[in-house]
Amino acid sequence: MTATSTHLAAPRDNPAATGLMIESSSILALDGVTKRFGQITALENFGVDIRKGEFITVIGPSGCGKSTLFNIVAGLESPDEGRISHHGKPVAAGDLLGQVAFMPQQDLLLPWRTVLDNAILAIELEGTPRSEARRMAMDMLPEFGLTGFERHYPQQLSGGMRQRVALMRTFLFKRELMLLDEPFGALDSLTRSMMQRWLLEIWRHHERTVLFITHDIDEAIFLGDRVLVMSARPGRIKLEQHIGLPRPRLGEVVTSEAFVQLKRKLLKELEEESMKSFTP
Amino acid sequence: MKPRLATLAHGATTRLGLTVLGLALVWQASTALLGVPASYLPGLDAIFSMMHRHPAPFIAGFIRTASEMLIGLAAGTLVGLINGVLLHRHQLLRQLLLPLFIVSQTIPVIAFGALVVMWFGNSLLSKAVIAFYLTFFTITVNTLAGLRSVDPAQIRLLRSFGASDHQLLWRLQLPSALPDIFIALKLAVALSLSGAVVGEWFGDTTGLGVLLLQSMYNEDMVTLWATILLVALLGSLSFAAVALMERVMLFWQPRA
Repeated sequence: MTATSTHLAAPRDNPAATGLMIESSSILALDGVTKRFGQITALENFGVDIRKGEFITVIGPSGCGKSTLFNIVAGLESPDEGRISHHGKPVAAGDLLGQVAFMPQQDLLLPWRTVLDNAILAIELEGTPRSEARRMAMDMLPEFGLTGFERHYPQQLSGGMRQRVALMRTFLFKRELMLLDEPFGALDSLTRSMMQRWLLEIWRHHERTVLFITHDIDEAIFLGDRVLVMSARPGRIKLEQHIGLPRPRLGEVVTSEAFVQLKRKLLKELEEESMKSFTP
Repeated sequence: MKPRLATLAHGATTRLGLTVLGLALVWQASTALLGVPASYLPGLDAIFSMMHRHPAPFIAGFIRTASEMLIGLAAGTLVGLINGVLLHRHQLLRQLLLPLFIVSQTIPVIAFGALVVMWFGNSLLSKAVIAFYLTFFTITVNTLAGLRSVDPAQIRLLRSFGASDHQLLWRLQLPSALPDIFIALKLAVALSLSGAVVGEWFGDTTGLGVLLLQSMYNEDMVTLWATILLVALLGSLSFAAVALMERVMLFWQPRA
C-alpha cells in the first residue's frame, strides 16, 4: 500500500514529468484491441492514442475492420481483448456510449424531422430542452451553409446538404472526440473536395478531435495530422504517417511536392495490402 | 409540398365522387328504364324517400353501430400497439403469445358471439368487444413487423448518442413503424365494422345490423337496401378518416 502511494505522489513532486503531460492530453487510447466474429478476426492487436485536438485519418483496404474499430470507439461493440482508456482512465466499451460524437457512412436523417430537428436529435436525446436546442442549431446554420433550409425535410435536400445536416448533428453533440466514418464517400468529387476544405475550417473553429475513416488517400493526407494505414484483415496498424503539411491547408496543397511524396509512400503501402485481400 | 398534396387529395375526391354518381345513375336508370322489379332492386328514389319519411331508426341505428365500431376499433388499436411493442421487446413473450394470438384468430367470431352476449349482455359493450376481438390482432402483427423493420444502422446511431430504450421507441421505432400500422388500421376499419354488425345479430334492438336482420324477416327490400347503403357510408367515412390521418402523419413518405 505504502509503495503505491509513494508512486502516485511522485509525479506531483515533479511537475515536469512528461509521462503525466502526455497522459493528460490523451482523450482515448486503445491498446492491444482484438475483435473476432466467429472464425474471422476483424481487428488484431490494434493500438492508437488519440490526443486532444488531433485530426487522425484511418485508411485501409475494404473489409480491413475499419467499421469494427469505429463501433468499438463509439461504444457499440466490446473488444474480445485489449484495453480502452478514456481520459487516461480504463473503461469498458459500453461506457463510451454517448461519450463520442458518431457519424456513420449514411446520413441517417429522420424523414419526419425538419433539418433543424434532425440537427438537434443528439442533444435532445441527452435532455436539452427542444427550444434551447433549436436556438443553438439556428446559430450554427450559416456555418453549415444551411441558412433558410431549417424548415425543409431531408428528402428535399441534395446529398451534400444532407451530409452537412448530419455533420451539424455531430458537431452540436458536444463531445471532444468525433468519429466520422467516410462521411463524404457518396458525394461527387467536386462536392467532396469543397466539403473537405469546409470541414477543416469548422474543425479549426470548434477545436474538436477527429477520427476520420476514408477510402481515399488524397482525403486522408489532405485532412489528417496523422494517417493510420490499416492492414488487410485482420486489421492492424501497418503504418502510422505523420503529415507535416502546414495548416490552414488550401486546395493547392494536393499538387505540392511534399503531398505527392506522401501519397506515393502511402499508396505503395496500401496497394500491398489491397493485393493481399484481392488474391483469392 | 403541402399544396401539391392538397391538389392530389382534391383530384382523388372529385374522381371518387364522379364514380359514385355514375353508379347511382346506372342504378336508377336500370330500375326505371329496364323495369327491374322493386322486390329485387328498388330504385334509389324509393330508398331515399323512405329514409326521408322514417329517419329515426336509421339515425339511431347509424349512431349505435358507429359507436360499437369505434369503441372496438379504438380499444383494438390501443391494445394492438401495446402488444406490438411488448412482443418486440420481449422475445419470450413473443414466443409464448404470438402462436396463441394466431390460434385465437382461427376461431370464427361467430363461435364467440353467444359467449360474449352472455358475459356482457345485450349491450353496446358486447358488440364493441367483438369488434375489438377482430381488430387487435391485425394491429399487433403489423406493429411488430414495423418495429422489426427499423434500420439497425439507425438504431446504432441513436444508441451512440446515448438514447434510452424509451427514447429509441418514441423518437425512432414507432414513427418508423407508422406506415405498417396504418396499413393495419385500414384493414381494422372494415373488420371492426363487420364485428359490430354481426355482433348485433346475436340480439339487440337498435343498430344497422338489427335493421338488416329485421328487413330480411319482413322481406322489406327498401329498408334492406337503405341499411346496406348506410353501412357502406359508415365504412367509407371511417376509412376516409384513417386515410386522411395517414396523409397528415405520414407527410414525409414518398407516395406513388
